[in-house]
Amino acid sequence: MSFGAWLELIASGLITGGVYALVALGLNLQYGLMRILNIAHGEFLMLGAFAAWLAYTYLGVSPLLTAPIVFVLMVVLGLLIHRLAFRRLAATSPDLDVFEARGLMVAFGLMFLVQNFASLVWGGELRGYDYLTDPVSVGGAQFAANKLLLAAVALAVSVALIVVLRRSLLGKGVRALMQSPVGAQLVGIDTARLHPLMFGIGLGLSGLAGSLLSMTYAISPAIGEPYTVTALIVITLGGFGSMTGSLVAALALGVIEALGTHFGSPSLKPLLSYGLFIAVLLWKPNGLFKR
Amino acid sequence: MSGRRILGRDLSVLAVLAVIALALPAWVNEFGVSMALTCLMYVALSSSWSLFCGATRYLSLATSAFFGIGAYAGALTLGELPWLAAIALGAGAAAALAVVMGSAVLHLRGTYFAVLTFGMTELIRHAVTFAEKQIAGTVGRVLVFVPEPGTVYLTVLALAVLAVVTSIAVRRSRLGLALAGIGGDELRAQTLGVDTRRAKVIGFAISAAFAGAVGAAMSVRWTYIDPATVFNPFIGFQTVLIALIGGAATLWGPLVAAIVFSVLAEALRLQLPQLYMMALGLLLILSVLYLPGGLASLRPGILIGWRDALLARRPARRAGAGKVRDA
Repeated sequence: MSFGAWLELIASGLITGGVYALVALGLNLQYGLMRILNIAHGEFLMLGAFAAWLAYTYLGVSPLLTAPIVFVLMVVLGLLIHRLAFRRLAATSPDLDVFEARGLMVAFGLMFLVQNFASLVWGGELRGYDYLTDPVSVGGAQFAANKLLLAAVALAVSVALIVVLRRSLLGKGVRALMQSPVGAQLVGIDTARLHPLMFGIGLGLSGLAGSLLSMTYAISPAIGEPYTVTALIVITLGGFGSMTGSLVAALALGVIEALGTHFGSPSLKPLLSYGLFIAVLLWKPNGLFKR
Repeated sequence: MSGRRILGRDLSVLAVLAVIALALPAWVNEFGVSMALTCLMYVALSSSWSLFCGATRYLSLATSAFFGIGAYAGALTLGELPWLAAIALGAGAAAALAVVMGSAVLHLRGTYFAVLTFGMTELIRHAVTFAEKQIAGTVGRVLVFVPEPGTVYLTVLALAVLAVVTSIAVRRSRLGLALAGIGGDELRAQTLGVDTRRAKVIGFAISAAFAGAVGAAMSVRWTYIDPATVFNPFIGFQTVLIALIGGAATLWGPLVAAIVFSVLAEALRLQLPQLYMMALGLLLILSVLYLPGGLASLRPGILIGWRDALLARRPARRAGAGKVRDA
């Protein structure tokens, strides 16, 4: 294989990895921070993708413009869902384990609700649109411009989020909550405000990823579920609550999948990711990057 | 009510229901029979799921793996083996899978267990798809030797009755007590001398055997099977949802919910299948939030509690706000 082909292969892995990172960071905020294993996470990605598709096809609005709007809408939706379901759940559950189990079931219900809502409204067929499809040549390798754009935005947002969590007072509060919920409350961190906000931002990131990836991939109501699973794999690999771990694991998974698909066969891809997932959960349930 | 009287009541209710189901094909048309068959399938699946998962509070999402393995085991051997042997083989294959899977994951509780069983189910589905495509060179299989529709109906009816009878029997046995103890407090059960690992694996295998047998019996109804149909995750999800909404810790909750939701599903299937799924999702959320024990735990007292909570909402919020200010 030539150098250009290798570059193309690794870079295409990094491009999918960037999307995985965005989705996984959102899920990690929800699970790492408040133990809500949001199995419906990918469904909000699907909603974001449909929003971008609708805006582009019917109004001619660029997906780059739709993406931030989708982010804000999803944050609001997240606040609403948290207010309606998870606040009550947190108040009525006797301990964190019960909360986690019930939260998982509520998320299951959400998955059914949202996915079937989408297939009721838009039907099951694949849809897509053409936006910035011209190839761009980088160092002897060819990429579609929209793929590069997708990767650039996804990585920029992921890194920005990590920096915000590292540097700002808000981020300090979030990290404190991840370390010790009780301790954080004792030093005056307001969980009643931080939890809904972070749940919303989690959904926002998922929606953002969806509206970006609708530029490059065909969309249908069923696209959300694989991304949920991938995000789960990524946060188990990277460690629950570890944002940098998620970013590294997402990029690594993207490259592994690209290599596996290239040298094996495309139908190996799900086998590879599920196998990896189960192996990591069984042998290192706290993630590869945790001591 | 004494234990013996409860047993008598449960068995007689079951006998009445079984006789009704047995007589049903004589009264109703083909559509009615197909609806009844779906009801029976979900009665067997959700009752056997609750047998293990309801008692121990382990949330297994592997039902569709057992169903699919059973369907494949039955379908591949149907030409050589007699009907009942093929069903038994399906049950055995699923139980064997459950023993292997259970030994690997049953030491993990809560979300880990749920997510791992789901991951393994998907892995098995993709592995079967991969094997079919690469080795056998096909996508699906056409079933040539198909028994009479009446035989299928009777078999699934027998499996449903057997699932409920097994539930009753297990509840009254040492195994049932051990499973309930694990659900209450696993560490304490272990301290009191329950071999929790063994009890969990046996319970998981029994519950899987029914899913496998139902899979083997139902596969012939489609006459063509492929991994996407028989490993369909929605069969598993729907089982879990039905059991949870009905009340997984109870005997009759899953059965009643299975009948209600299967009728609803078949009635809405042709016009608005998505609406049914949406209703199922919404009901699950509502029942987890307001009725964690499922519909079977609904008592007049709970309704009165809801009314009082609704009436007391405004003053309570004011009082709550005052408390925050005080703190």
